[in-house]
Amino acid sequence: MKRNISWMLLFGIASLFVQCKDSGEDVKPDTDNELITTVKLKFTEQGTTNVSTFTSSDPDGEGGAAPVIQPISLKAATTYAVTVELLDESKTPAVDITKEVDEKAEEHLFIYTASPSTLLTYTAEDKDANNYPVGLVGKATTGAAGTGTLKVQLRHQPGNKNGTATPGSDDVNIDFVLQIN
Amino acid sequence: MVKLLISLLLVFTTTVSFSQTSSCACFIKGIVRDQHTSQPVVGATILVLGQNNGVFTDSQGKYQINNLCPGSYQIECRIVGYTPSRFKIDLTEGHIEDFNLEEDEVHLQDVEISAHRTDTPGSQPLTSLTGTELFKTRGDNLAESLKGLTGVTSLQTGASISKPVIHGMHSNRVLIMNNGVRQEGQQWGSEHAPEIDPFVATRLSVVKGAAGVRYGSDAIGGVVLVDPEELPFDKPLSGELNLVGFSNGRQGVSSATLQGSVKGWKGFGWRAQGTLKRGGNIRTPDYFLDNTGLSEKNFSLSTGYRHRGFGIDVFYSRFDTKIGIFSGAHIGSVTDLLNVIKNGEPLVKSGFSYDIARPNQNAQHNLIKAETHYHFNDGNRLQWTIAQQINDRNEFDLHGPRNDSLASLNRPELTFKLNTLTNDLVWDHRPIAKKISGQIGISSLYQYNLMSGRPLIPNFNQFNLGVFWIERYAKNGWELEAGVRYDYRTLATHRYVKKEKISTDFTFSNFSGTIGATKNITPYLSAKLNIGTAWRAPNVSELFSDGVHHGAAAYERGDSTLTQEKAINSIASIQYSTNRIKVELGGYYNYISDYIYLQPQAEPMLTIRGAFPYFKYTQTNAVFRGIDLSVDYELAKNLTLSSKLSYLNVYDKGNDNYLVMIPPNRWDNQLKYQLENIGPLKNVFVSAGNLSVAQQKRVPANSDFAPPPKAYSLWNMQIGSSIPVTEKNELEINIGIQNLFNVAYRDYLNRFRYYAHDMGRQVSIRLKWKFGASNK
Repeated sequence: MKRNISWMLLFGIASLFVQCKDSGEDVKPDTDNELITTVKLKFTEQGTTNVSTFTSSDPDGEGGAAPVIQPISLKAATTYAVTVELLDESKTPAVDITKEVDEKAEEHLFIYTASPSTLLTYTAEDKDANNYPVGLVGKATTGAAGTGTLKVQLRHQPGNKNGTATPGSDDVNIDFVLQIN
Repeated sequence: MVKLLISLLLVFTTTVSFSQTSSCACFIKGIVRDQHTSQPVVGATILVLGQNNGVFTDSQGKYQINNLCPGSYQIECRIVGYTPSRFKIDLTEGHIEDFNLEEDEVHLQDVEISAHRTDTPGSQPLTSLTGTELFKTRGDNLAESLKGLTGVTSLQTGASISKPVIHGMHSNRVLIMNNGVRQEGQQWGSEHAPEIDPFVATRLSVVKGAAGVRYGSDAIGGVVLVDPEELPFDKPLSGELNLVGFSNGRQGVSSATLQGSVKGWKGFGWRAQGTLKRGGNIRTPDYFLDNTGLSEKNFSLSTGYRHRGFGIDVFYSRFDTKIGIFSGAHIGSVTDLLNVIKNGEPLVKSGFSYDIARPNQNAQHNLIKAETHYHFNDGNRLQWTIAQQINDRNEFDLHGPRNDSLASLNRPELTFKLNTLTNDLVWDHRPIAKKISGQIGISSLYQYNLMSGRPLIPNFNQFNLGVFWIERYAKNGWELEAGVRYDYRTLATHRYVKKEKISTDFTFSNFSGTIGATKNITPYLSAKLNIGTAWRAPNVSELFSDGVHHGAAAYERGDSTLTQEKAINSIASIQYSTNRIKVELGGYYNYISDYIYLQPQAEPMLTIRGAFPYFKYTQTNAVFRGIDLSVDYELAKNLTLSSKLSYLNVYDKGNDNYLVMIPPNRWDNQLKYQLENIGPLKNVFVSAGNLSVAQQKRVPANSDFAPPPKAYSLWNMQIGSSIPVTEKNELEINIGIQNLFNVAYRDYLNRFRYYAHDMGRQVSIRLKWKFGASNK
């Protein structure tokens, strides 16, 4: 009986040595590998040096403040050279994601969809190692004056890129307001 | 009334059969022991159902019932503090032997009854899986194993991740007691399955209804009990080898158990157990699901010592799993999701493979537990359980970092480390006037969580203290029970918001209560009523979520002002049982105030990946009410129909609407034919069955991307037998086919229902070799 009680005591004392930990000391800043906060579209009117840049920016990432999307305003019946730039501005300094997309060009595809479709047509002018378009550099031709939207998607298609939008998933999916004047 | 399940493990049954015809000189005798302490149970009633024949166990726990005619009987054993349980016994038909008429050589059944302590309110319905019924589920994960019980379903993420759902509730509303210790993993996540190897247990039980008084926070919908067999103190070496093969996923499972005592060390017992599981891509009727393989390696070790009233058990278990997540379920935006739904089948095609690539999750759960108890000579009993759990979970997204040097490290995008220490001290007081028994207990929980990766939940430290007191009274066929509990909880959270560390502290406290009654109206008929309350504090994800839930294509935001959720559950059941028919009918009404759920917001949340539907954790008052019916009816000799019906209706009173993700009604029917013994094959049976699941029509309007899947009906078949090889060697075999007609269906509670069909036909073969212990 005595021995039994001492067993139990021993047991209890052992439990006191179990370490407590302050989880607050170990808290780490969040890291989101894939975050893209900013998409910059640069339209250069063909044959000129007139550059217009339109940005969608959400520096605090998902949630928090809503993204600010600038309306795109272009001239009717004009051809533009289009480049796109992707940034993660939640980090300091901002991380240039464009470079990383370019390095992994055979996994990525930009899709530009105007609605109504007569407003703008887009052709990618770059190719990846497998001769599929990428869309970091391209050409856009506007139609007659009107208002609609331009959807910009970055499709992430590791291992299954085939030149179409179908495989993979969206890394970017933004609807810009599109005004053709 | 009761608190315990008596599990009538029929341990030793010997039949001697020499005799005179028409002589009603058979008898049953035996001893009733508490399985855990091996102490005899004094004053238990042993009833022969259908006859007014009953006896009490004496001071050594012994009983004897005389003057029984040869035949089949239902025997019931009951005592205050233990749930009554019944078993069937065959007293062998005597054949004419004109000689040897000595007194001892009459029909005799010697039955040792082990009463198993599980600490559940006796007036709440409890269903257990043991023996052959459990064997039929071997190789399945915990939630799938329990799915056959009425009122129990599962919440799935594909075919390999499954969580138990009791009366429509899951995750933090269902408590799992693993070996007497509350399981603490990252249960808040609907894709976080309990990290438990069912092979550890020889008994899986489900307590339905709120059991907050005994178990504390989270026991709102019910409690799942995972119990291993008692250690083999002073028994010879024995063991078990289980081999399971599944055609779908080409999955193989093997599990072995070895147990015994130590020669010369009286009172010692030990057990070692291990499981290996490996599976590949699951196939629906029309296509394979890419990256749905899994791999599991688990083991457990335990040892214990008993001396007079003293006992100590030490248990260690490790669960280690790696599960591939169907890659076709990865979406970046709502557009992606709508495209898959429109396509009707996954856009990602695949063949068969065992490879587990991204996305995947791996989890390790370590449990070390020590339990010690002492039975004082005056009838008091003290029990102390201390346990530590270390739960490590790593989740890998489909895409690693874009940066090559980071990607080559192949780090998980999410890492959770949860460390939990629990202490439970329970004092069972000496029975008062042999009629009132009760217990007083104190439970503590200390826990911390460390998190890194994608923002999801904060780091936290949590402390919980609970005290409870339960008393039971039995007289004249009535068993009454009442209890109270008080819980106090503190939660300190730490997280980064915009590169700034923010710490937020919470405290919660709650009173819970339970009252219940059981009445044995006739030896065939009993009724139970229980009214119990339970609570749970909001979990960290409900308080702090803030981001897109990629599995659900929804933006989910927590609310740090949420208060605790409280349930008042009334549950009534009637049991009628004769030799030919057994009916259990239960009804429940569970009112949950401040029920926490995701409320759809009018404005979508705009992100760089487009607009996501926006949900906020909000509180309302909800009602869960339903009926569970189970009938076993012997249609003809050896032919039994088992029918189980689960009906559930859930309503959001606060908003006058339905709630999402509630299991639809289901009806399960099995027809089983028990053959006579065929040569060396014993207990041969053939069964065929059907499960019909209705379409969930009670959903809020426009709350989902796709309507709940249509009703479905699945057929299954099984054959099984046991083969006693020698007196101490037995084989058991079972061959089953699930989804016999390879029906393409989707289940409302499978979170991948948007993306793909559920599993197609599944053929399984189960083999068990048991050695060292006498055959029953």
